[in-house]
Amino acid sequence: MTERKPVLEIEHLSVAYDSPRGPVQAVNDVSLAIYEEEIVGLVGESGSGKSTMAYAIMRLLKGVAYVTGGSIKINGKDVYGLSKQELRAFRWAEMAMVFQSAMSALNPVMTVEQQIADTIRSHQKNASSAEIRKRAEELLDLVRIDRKHLKSYPHQLSGGMKQRVVIAIAICLKPSLVIMDEPTTALDVVVQRSILDQIQEIQREVKFAILFISHDFSLVSELASRVAIMYAGRVVELAGSRRLRVAGEHHPYTEGLLRAIPRLTADDVVIEGIPGNPPNLVELPSGCAFHPRCAHATERCAVEEPRLQKTGQAEIACHLFQGREVPQHV
Amino acid sequence: MSDDPLLRVDELVVRFPIKANGQKTFIRPVDRVSFFIREGEVLALVGESGSGKTTIGKAMMRILEPTSGSILFDQKEVGHVRGRKLIDYRTSVQMIFQDPFGSLNPVRTIEQHLQFPLQKHQQLRGQALDERITSLLEQVGLTPVAETRIKYPHELSGGQRQRVAIARALAVGPRFLVADEPISMLDVSIRAGILRLMNELKEQYRLAFLYITHDLASARYFGDRIMVMYGGKIMESADSRELLRRPLHPYTQLLLAATPGHEEKQALPETSNLPPNLAESRKGCPFASRCPHVTAQCEQEEPKLEEITDSHAVACHLVST
Ligand SMILES: Nc1ncnc2c1ncn2[C@@H]1O[C@H](COP(=O)(O)OP(=O)(O)OP(=O)(O)O)[C@@H](O)[C@H]1O
Ligand SMILES: Nc1ncnc2c1ncn2[C@@H]1O[C@H](COP(=O)(O)OP(=O)(O)OP(=O)(O)O)[C@@H](O)[C@H]1O
Ligand SMILES: [Mg+2]
Ligand SMILES: [Mg+2]
Repeated sequence: MTERKPVLEIEHLSVAYDSPRGPVQAVNDVSLAIYEEEIVGLVGESGSGKSTMAYAIMRLLKGVAYVTGGSIKINGKDVYGLSKQELRAFRWAEMAMVFQSAMSALNPVMTVEQQIADTIRSHQKNASSAEIRKRAEELLDLVRIDRKHLKSYPHQLSGGMKQRVVIAIAICLKPSLVIMDEPTTALDVVVQRSILDQIQEIQREVKFAILFISHDFSLVSELASRVAIMYAGRVVELAGSRRLRVAGEHHPYTEGLLRAIPRLTADDVVIEGIPGNPPNLVELPSGCAFHPRCAHATERCAVEEPRLQKTGQAEIACHLFQGREVPQHV
Repeated sequence: MSDDPLLRVDELVVRFPIKANGQKTFIRPVDRVSFFIREGEVLALVGESGSGKTTIGKAMMRILEPTSGSILFDQKEVGHVRGRKLIDYRTSVQMIFQDPFGSLNPVRTIEQHLQFPLQKHQQLRGQALDERITSLLEQVGLTPVAETRIKYPHELSGGQRQRVAIARALAVGPRFLVADEPISMLDVSIRAGILRLMNELKEQYRLAFLYITHDLASARYFGDRIMVMYGGKIMESADSRELLRRPLHPYTQLLLAATPGHEEKQALPETSNLPPNLAESRKGCPFASRCPHVTAQCEQEEPKLEEITDSHAVACHLVST
């Protein structure tokens, strides 16, 4: 456990968007490492900064977005220290991403095969057509799409099929880190389960690490070994996923998420929310950003920002836990 | 109120030409599908990816014309109308698309996305218009509203865009709403709010919904009835409570087993990975190749959707007697 090599090392990363109302602090002092062949989940409310963080890792932030602090390393290389040309070779080959907008990320006028070929050729200029065809077929098999769809255009595929094509494209150059931004949200549960099993299988075979972004708590905790919980641009809890399945001794926001998982019992479905509204990222609440929605908030929470601290086997950013021993769930 | 449903779909067929091995053939993602939706009722449509759910939704919206079959809306046939009649029909129906990225205009602010339908369909102007925009944005949780109004779609997160699409569909004031995976990108806490909002609309304005989802928990919560689809055909349909309590079709049982939060979640049967066959030439039950209980009859003969009780129908040779 001690000798695992980190694939991704994020240190004190902050990202902001310029806006007429002032900077939008989308990612705020986040540190996170992912080790070889590890799957780490990233969970958080809509708008909490998950996609922004992914774009920052891929160095794909554009326009008014900029990294205001911190560093990102992949396989020991500083992503922001690469030249344009190095970056081009690096992206997709060492780090790849399945976009949240996957369905519209496909080029509408290219067939599935052409899009796969395009990605391969961009890095391996002299790949032969036969090689590409073979690889494309393997990839479609891997994501369980009939090979006849190599000749299909995106509009001829269902939402779920498009999503799987995008996953196939992301892994086609065998990168060591794949960021998956809500890769299965549009899929039915059966396909979702089989894709997840598949991802784990492929991952064991091809050996890449995954940052798996999702709002689906139960899904992430099944797939990932560790999960980071994000709120208003900050990681408020980082814990082993086994521990996360058990309620109690979590950040109050995490507890809210756990409670909000719908229980599908034969008689009734209760869908519970977390009271209050998501925070305004231009004017973050003082102290702990979650305090206006927190049932346990004290005066201290309104003035002092809690830091991520080791609490038992997890790391939690909450004053409730400070200086307190936490029983360890196994 | 009359007993006639707001929407009645009969023997709907949609087929697409495809090329397989250089030959032109047809697939039928919607194959003789019939259902109805009353005013103020939610019909949830669940099913395998690629089984034809979005295609049904698009046919309801008349974004595409069905190959055959009829769609009666308010007792008027709209399945094959064109021109003026089609435009009239479209003012009463709205669709929240599965992909919120494609459906927003990148050069318009969020406010503008809502202004247009409110002016055109609700004739709102000035302060009334302003207030309505504010309340819509509040309802879908896009607060602070003053910030959101002047943003462009690219300045929003995935879930925020999905909520703009919902607000815009509601702004038109439709009588019938096709909601295609409207909350798939939202986290549980916001999800609950949107479901509650849709529930209110249904009750307040007697809106009818076709709620397309893969999430059985929300189908159960929001849907009055659930219709389960596989390979272009309805496999089972029942009151939502009944369906979850007594799933009769092997595919429904598989879906339930795969749903997180379901107590009896077990390992899925080995066969669970093959995509449905939509070929027009297909024989027998579409689920046969994956069904753990398959018999010789299933491979030859297509089971008919048969009523087990007043509110529960299933298409399976093993169940119908
Ligand atoms: N170009 C932009 N200008 C201003 N604000 C932006 C811009 N892009 C994103 N934001 C804001 O930054 C915040 C974080 O967005 P991000 O897309 O990272 O969220 P997310 O966690 O991925 O949410 P979701 O689960 O809904 O996809 C959001 O509140 C969003 O409104
Ligand atoms: N314009 C088209 N031309 C050819 N085939 C099409 C077209 N549109 C859809 N299809 C095919 O019809 C089938 C059903 O697609 P549809 O989008 O209705 O599925 P869905 O049930 O909504 O799936 P998902 O849950 O993945 O969104 C798919 O096999 C798809 O490839
Ligand atoms: Mg996102
Ligand atoms: Mg669909």
